This record gives sequence, structure tokens and C-alpha cells, in this order.
Amino acid sequence: MEGLSNAIVILLIILAMLLSFSIGGNDESPAPLAATGTLKFNIVLIIGGMGLIIGTLFLSEEVASTVGAKFLGPSVNYTIFMLLSVLISGIIWLIIGSFAGIPLSSTHSLFGSIFGVVITYLIMNPAVDPAGAFNVSKLISLVIGWFVSPIVGFFLTLILYKIIAAFYLKKLKGLNQIEKSETFFSWALIIAVFGVCIYTGANSGEAIGIIYALFDGNYINYGGYWYGKVLLGIFVFLGMFIAGRYVVKNLAAQTTDARPSDGFILQVVVFIVLFVVTPLGIPISHSHVVVFCIIGLNSGKRQEVDYKGLGKMALFWVLTFPIAALVGGLIYLGFFMNGFI
Amino acid sequence: MKEFERNKLPKLSIDDLTNEFMDNINNQNIMLIEGIEFLIEEDFENFNINLNIVIETKTEVEIKKTFEAKLFKSKRASFTKADRLKLFAKINDIKNIGEFMANRMLLYRVVFPDDQFKVHIRSINKSLKEITNKISDAVKSIGPDLEKSYEICEEVKEERRKMRKEEWELLHRLWNYDMDYLSRTFLYLKEFIEDIMMMADHIKNFAEYIQFLTTKYLIFK
Repeated sequence: MEGLSNAIVILLIILAMLLSFSIGGNDESPAPLAATGTLKFNIVLIIGGMGLIIGTLFLSEEVASTVGAKFLGPSVNYTIFMLLSVLISGIIWLIIGSFAGIPLSSTHSLFGSIFGVVITYLIMNPAVDPAGAFNVSKLISLVIGWFVSPIVGFFLTLILYKIIAAFYLKKLKGLNQIEKSETFFSWALIIAVFGVCIYTGANSGEAIGIIYALFDGNYINYGGYWYGKVLLGIFVFLGMFIAGRYVVKNLAAQTTDARPSDGFILQVVVFIVLFVVTPLGIPISHSHVVVFCIIGLNSGKRQEVDYKGLGKMALFWVLTFPIAALVGGLIYLGFFMNGFI
Repeated sequence: MKEFERNKLPKLSIDDLTNEFMDNINNQNIMLIEGIEFLIEEDFENFNINLNIVIETKTEVEIKKTFEAKLFKSKRASFTKADRLKLFAKINDIKNIGEFMANRMLLYRVVFPDDQFKVHIRSINKSLKEITNKISDAVKSIGPDLEKSYEICEEVKEERRKMRKEEWELLHRLWNYDMDYLSRTFLYLKEFIEDIMMMADHIKNFAEYIQFLTTKYLIFK
């Protein structure tokens, strides 16, 4: 039994590394910088990857502890089969999202899976106090964070754009001035993108949360926890550099006509939102925030918004939590039915 | 192009190269328009000289090569590259149309039907000169002041509308002259008027493109 337990711990760490790789591979934050052509493409990826590593290693503690321990209440503790169910469920839903071409929230997927697994656990163990299953205050702050962060992103982008446009951009008369100004923003974008990548790494608690849960459950010691973090950092960098290049290149190619100032405003707002929520231990959906920021920017510029496309995206977002919960619960039930638990 | 001018090209900015190119093409176009004036006055010698200069001049090729090399290397203009290239191509088209017109005009030695016809040709030619100079000003204003460029383009469009009316007046006269239907003179004059309007239409389309750039890049109050 101990052998099986160790094997599953190792499997969890491997799956967490793969999840970390996919997080890096799906992070589109460096795209605006790649689109400007200010730096060579590989350098852009390295900057993005380094940001993710720094965030993962040094700033992810709060979010990791939320995922790995604080989300649950006093009557429930993670078991390795719970964690395994959560990871598998999260990965399945992300794969579905990739095929559907929708940028799904891995954060919502993770917490949906945890929710489903814990509910199934409660059903299988009627003696456990359901009132103590979840940390209610953490759950409330999480849900508020998920709804508030995109809305804040929208308004903050709109306001920031209006201010920069009114006091600076409107004063640029000729194409020469505009090009000079945008060159400045291209360079400023480097700092903004780096900052966003740091806090994306810090806020992406899916993989690091699993490692934290193993540490909190005494499946690994503190040295093992840090070793796991370093591995996840390496894999998130590799994910960005090896797989993320296609996402970044694809998005950058579509946005070569976009002004660097627009990208800078977007990145600054995303950074502010992540900077505020991450130390509070609230994992949010980075992709939701980015989409709402883009809507905010388009609103500020009085440009059209593709509501039809948004509608499809919103549907998947709303479905993510319950479907991930269902899949997570079913996988955990499968382990239970087959006598693993 | 003089040697010292050729040497200074690599030192010019993208915007300066565009302006230099515009000047070069504009001068050739003015040469063509002045050639038409010589034709109206029946000064065939100067007419031939002017039109042959337009056909044979290739000095703008050097500017074009320098511009393209500079543009593709430039990191500063990355989000305006496509538009800068298109702008340059539209200036180049003025030269292409001018060359086409010159070659066509040299096919035959025409004598205009009457003085009234000459008056109208002179008028339409004068308008062509005006919009040629104005589009050159509009292009040079893109760098320092896009709003001014927009206003100049409005004037170009207005002038071209007047040219259109003048064109119908000319064609109406032409169709009602007493000459054989397949007369070389008739064909020549018909194509002559249409070629002038082809140049005018291109300049008008160019003006609209500049206005598009203005709305694209300016953040209006």
C-alpha cells in the first residue's frame, strides 16, 4: 500500500509538471511584445519564461496554499486520490477546450474539479461534517474574485486608456510623432510583459497547489516541496519556450497592426489586477481578465465588440466549473468503486 | 540623380525617403503636365522632350531600393510598415501611370480640333497640375501633421470632381465633331482625355487612402 501511495505521489508530481508545461505553453502574455518586433522572438520567450519561473518559485506561496490547503474546511483533508482525480479532471477539460478552440480557465477547471471531488467524498463518507468541507470565507472570496477581477479589468482598462488618450495620444499629430511614441511604448511593454508573466506564474496555482497539497498532507517534506517547485518552474519555462512559441507567434501575427500603446495599457491593467489578488491568495482566471480588458479597450476606442464570439466563450466559462466538478467527481467515484480508496 | 544625392539617401529617415520619392515623382508628373501644355500650343519639340524625360527617368528606383531596405530593417516603424509600404507603392503608381500616358501620347502627332477644345484641355490640365501638387503636399504632411494631410486630401477630391465635369464637357464636344468614327485623331483625343482622368482618379484614390490612414492613426477629439 505504501508502494502504491509513493507511486501515486510520483505520478502526481509528474502530472503537475506536465500541467505546469501546459500552463507555460498556453500563456499568451508575451504576444503583444512579440508583435512589436522590438526584440528577437526567442528573447521574448525567454523573458516570458523567466517571469513565469520567478513568479512560480518566489511569489506563488499564497495561491498555492489556497489551492493546496486553505480552500478546504476543517473536516476534509486532501488524499492522493483526491488530488489525482482533480488533476486528471482538470487536464481532460483543458484538452476539450483546446479542441474547441476556446481559452478555458484552468483556475475554474481546477476548483470545479476540487469541488466535485470533495462533494463525492462527502457522499461516500456520510459521517464527515459537510459544513466543514469547504472554507466558506475562502470560497466566497474566490467567487467574488472570479467575477470582480474581469469587471475591474474592464473598467480599469477603459479609464487608463481614456486618460492616456486624453492627455497624451490625442496630442500626437503626425505619423512621425506616433511612431516615436509607440517605439517608447514598445520598450515599456518589455517591463509590463515581464511583470505580467511573473504574476501569471505566481497566480497559476493549479500545478503548484498540488505540490503544496502533498507537502501539507505530509506526503513530501519541505525539501521535496521546494524541489517540486523548482521542477515546476523549469517545466513552465520549457512550456513557454517549446510549446508556447506557437500560441505567442500565432497571436503576435494577428496583432502586428496593433499599437504597442494598446498592448502596454492592457498589460499594465492585467498586472495591477494580478498584483492585487495574488498576495491575497486568490487565484483568478488570467484569460478572463485579458478578454475583459480587451473589451474595455475597444469600448474606449469606440470599436466593435464581437458579442457573438463572446457569447460562445461565456457559455464555456460558465460550464467549466460544473462540468469539471462532474468529471472530477466521477473520476474520484471510479477510484472508490474500484477499491483504491 | 546626382552622385552626392545618391550618397545622402541611406542617411535619410523612412519619412524623408518617402518625401524625396514623392518629390521625384511629382517633378516627373509636372514634366508630363507641362508636356501636355506644349502639345496644346503645338510646340511638338518640347512636347517630345518632356515626355521622353518622363519615360526615361529612373532615378526614383534608387530611392525605392533604399526605402525598402530601411523599412524592413526598421524596428521603429513595425506597426506602420504595411501602411508605409502601401503609401510608397501608390506614389510609384503615379509614375507608372505617367509613363503609360507619355508612351501613349507619343504614338501620334495630334492637332486639337479648335480653340474651345484647347481651352477645356488647358483647364483640365491645370486642375491635374493642382491635384498633383496637392497630393505631394498631403504626403509630406503625413509625417508632421495628419490632420492637415486630411484637409489637403479633401481639396484634392473637390478638384477632381470639377475635373469630372470638365471631362464630360470635353467628351461631349468630341463626340459631336464632324469627323470619321475611326479617325485616329478622335481615338487619340478620347484616350488622351481618359488618360488624364485615369491619373486624376488614381490621385483621388490615393487621397482617400491618406484619409483612411488619418482616421486609423489619429485619436480624434
